[in-house]
Amino acid sequence: MRSKAFRHDLPLHVVLIILGIITFYPLIFTLFTSFKDNSQFYSTFWGPAWPLHWGNYADAWRQLYPVLINTVFVGLVSAFGTIFLASLSAYVFARHRFPGHDLLFYAIIALLMIPGVLTLIPLFLLVKDLGLLNTYWVLILPYIAGGQAFAIFVLRSFIASQPEEIFESARIDGANEFTIYQRIAMPMAKPILGTLAILALLGTWNDYIWPSVTLRNPELWTISLKLVSFSSQWASLQQYGPMFAGYVIASIPLLILFMFTMRLFIEGLASGAIKA
Amino acid sequence: MHEQSIERTGAVKPLLQGRPSRSIWQTIRQKGSLYLFLIPTIIFLLIFMYYPAFTAVRLSFYQWDGFGPERWVGLRNFERLFTNSVMLSSINNMLILTIARILIVLTTPLLAAELVFHLMSDRWKYWYRVIFVIPLVIPDVVTYLLWQFIFNPSVGLANVLLNNLGLSFLSNEWLGSHRTVLLSLALVGFPWIAGINFLIYLAGLQNIPREVLDAAAVDGATGFRRFWLVDVKLIMGQIKLLLILSIIFSLQAFVLILIMTNGGPGYSSMVPGLLMYEAAFQDGRFGYACAIGTAIFVVIFVLTYINMRYIQPETEHSPS
Repeated sequence: MRSKAFRHDLPLHVVLIILGIITFYPLIFTLFTSFKDNSQFYSTFWGPAWPLHWGNYADAWRQLYPVLINTVFVGLVSAFGTIFLASLSAYVFARHRFPGHDLLFYAIIALLMIPGVLTLIPLFLLVKDLGLLNTYWVLILPYIAGGQAFAIFVLRSFIASQPEEIFESARIDGANEFTIYQRIAMPMAKPILGTLAILALLGTWNDYIWPSVTLRNPELWTISLKLVSFSSQWASLQQYGPMFAGYVIASIPLLILFMFTMRLFIEGLASGAIKA
Repeated sequence: MHEQSIERTGAVKPLLQGRPSRSIWQTIRQKGSLYLFLIPTIIFLLIFMYYPAFTAVRLSFYQWDGFGPERWVGLRNFERLFTNSVMLSSINNMLILTIARILIVLTTPLLAAELVFHLMSDRWKYWYRVIFVIPLVIPDVVTYLLWQFIFNPSVGLANVLLNNLGLSFLSNEWLGSHRTVLLSLALVGFPWIAGINFLIYLAGLQNIPREVLDAAAVDGATGFRRFWLVDVKLIMGQIKLLLILSIIFSLQAFVLILIMTNGGPGYSSMVPGLLMYEAAFQDGRFGYACAIGTAIFVVIFVLTYINMRYIQPETEHSPS
């Protein structure tokens, strides 16, 4: 049985493995090159070379760790803010009827159709007038706002599918709305909250445009913004080892997160497609 | 659909129907605390989403340098979109890249999803799915910079590979030449499997009912015939969805180009989104920039409407 399946699958594996190698080779090349000095780079272009030059990582780390800390800080605060506000709204939309329910809900969901290119410039003018340029707030506040529509959309349907009996018995026990939200709706929604938090973190990690127009002060930069200038600096010195070490450093935190939360990640990415 | 889902789970109490004499204000007072839950979201959205969106549309009818008085110019900004030669060639570039993206979405991710779907071993199915998701976790900017390096004329992988294979006559300036820059940008991510597209195709294929596949097998549909007559038909919803999504994505995507070529050489990889960015943040022409943004938004809006009205309903599935 097992061998029959294997014989059936073999040609498929061959094609998939070839596709996999082409897909992954640039990443493997990155890893190899990140450990090379310049002479190794030219003499063993395609493969790994010994000894490993860990110094490349030290050089890259010195430049990148401050922005990594910024990115994690902004990412966590925005993820928390997005989910906290969105879950409050999603809870009432899912479990209650009240005047204006549908109007408000659709007014929020309609924002899914507003692309970033439309709001980029007026948002910049707004944060400039509010005096937020060159602060962490200039990232955090718009990220929280930008995440609302999608998070509410996803959370509402999740909370709406929770069994009513539990909510009913809590109400009979005299629990107030916030307690019900906090003690019943949220604990049951944990997996989807995790998925949304990961998406928010990914969003902060990947955003380039918004930090590039709002942050002049390099001390506040996030990883995507820093990496571009970091990269061109090493490329102009033709020092490719530290440059690729920087790429690895920028990728590792997300890869680790991925390993521990694989299922949430895959679901999040698949549902995130609808957002994009 | 929205109401149904609430009713099914019994979340709705017969509030309004049961007591018709109650005035709406009484209801609002009674339910008042619920609005407190919504207020933070509403404040954030009014300030950081609604206000900028309306400002964008309003400013597109003005000429404004960001400091002095705004000057009403009517539709002049929009006229420029159709007369300015740089804008027209950038639209042309965008269309070329969009067509490339469409061709990509229809081929390799679907092929890979088909191959994985037809594996008999479930364990391997799972692992290929995981493996082809990993590159998605690599930060976008790392991917762009990596591909910029791949196209580096002297030390990039593309030219070194061609030289090693004795095909040096094919080696190129890639991003540096106006003849190859769009091709190079379209090649980014080759073979374009790792991604959302693959995941959505695979999910679509796995949703095909077992009986349909068995019936197809009984009828002797195998190999390419089965792919064309059964699989493609049954995942048409996913195919249409991905088409619309990739068009919408291509219309506004400019970060890749900003980082890899900055629209160059010359204007040969310029796209409207990047022109908008430059008009605002380099030239201080905020009115014109907003007009570009508004125009892109209108096109996206129409496509989104078509998507929701005619395409989405068939593929409605709840993200698990």
